[in-house]
Amino acid sequence: MKEPRLMFTWRMMLLAFLLPPLLVLAIDMTFYGGFKGIDSGVSFTRFANATLTAYTLCSLFLLGNLFFYGESRNRPWAPLVGMIMATALGVLATVFLIGQGPMLLEDNGSVRAQAIYNIIHMLVSSGAVLVAMSVALGVTFSAITSQKPRNDFELEEE
Amino acid sequence: MNIRGFGRGMDEMLQAFLLFWIPVSMVPLGLWYSMSSPLQSSPLRGRFLAFAGIVLVCLSPWTVPSSPSSAAGHLLGAIIGPCLLIMLGIYLISFSGNVAVGKLPRSDRKIGVLMAGVGFVWLAGMHWWILTPQLVPNEVNPYWYVFWPTFILLTSCLASCSAVTLLMIGERRKAEANTMFIVSGLSFTVLLLGLNIDGPLVKADEFREHLWLAVADLAGIVVGSVLSILVFALVIYLYERNLPEPKAITPPTESELKQVSTLISAHIGGGEE
Repeated sequence: MKEPRLMFTWRMMLLAFLLPPLLVLAIDMTFYGGFKGIDSGVSFTRFANATLTAYTLCSLFLLGNLFFYGESRNRPWAPLVGMIMATALGVLATVFLIGQGPMLLEDNGSVRAQAIYNIIHMLVSSGAVLVAMSVALGVTFSAITSQKPRNDFELEEE
Repeated sequence: MNIRGFGRGMDEMLQAFLLFWIPVSMVPLGLWYSMSSPLQSSPLRGRFLAFAGIVLVCLSPWTVPSSPSSAAGHLLGAIIGPCLLIMLGIYLISFSGNVAVGKLPRSDRKIGVLMAGVGFVWLAGMHWWILTPQLVPNEVNPYWYVFWPTFILLTSCLASCSAVTLLMIGERRKAEANTMFIVSGLSFTVLLLGLNIDGPLVKADEFREHLWLAVADLAGIVVGSVLSILVFALVIYLYERNLPEPKAITPPTESELKQVSTLISAHIGGGEE
């Protein structure tokens, strides 16, 4: 018998992804009557630092890709210069905003210390993201390969 | 762990640059070299460069203990074992099932489950047992607070998303979706345990604080990456838009049209059959 299938919507996918943190929030609100352990100032600082660092490092990575993209087109300079400027903008924005004072400084005394900390922090976070993605994809794949082989004709008859 | 440096004569900044940052950059450079160069021997050289980089980064707590960045090398050394066990375990489970190519013996499945289980228990032991990564006795490696909440939270989120995707896109994938819901539920349970049960060094309140910092971190990574991709697309779009129109060619002459029509009529008639 054919199983009923859910309709595909992006909202449903997003909700499924956000379900665990939303559940933690709901449990906290139920048991503690508020958001326990969230310091909005510290969280904003981390968010801003992560945004600036991710933008700069991702731009640097894309700059490398652009170099190879140009290989098949007689290596034009215009997009390369454009992307170098976009990356430089990220570096300058990071240095400028961190230098504005304690807003973006997490327990570090200088702009250079904070910038280096941001890069290391991003590498560790990216490592955690990579491991989590590998585990989720790997378990999905192993769950699929664990099932008995299917008879495609049965599916067509249904 | 007792960490003592052995490069005392050198300037600290230079020491960190030579013994930490150069090895860090060797990893992506080695991977890039192994994938991009057309030479036959280069993949091996590239992989060796990346491997040497990883080893040197893992050794950085001993080679550059004065640099705060070396704590990341210490964390890498601490988690590389359980992570490799988990990955190898999942690989063995996956390829001992019904796969078309590269099938492994059925007995590898049990070894895979054991390896993945030991890997997860090892990581959990870093939170609730004596295995917590410590730079000096009773001082937790600060990057452990970054890795662990991010990994647990994202695994739960991705497994939940994967389960719903299997239900929405897959045909008769309810059993697989249930497995993914179980994985998501297990990760979520570990998360809740971390939020409520203290470990010997990692306290529940500290974990809670770092969990929300991990959420902010993930949101920042998404926003920053999307912004850079948009800028990249904009640069390419502007360049392509400003390219001159390709040169138009002259229309075919009468004789060329006649030749084409002769060729076409010779091929679509089918009279000779």
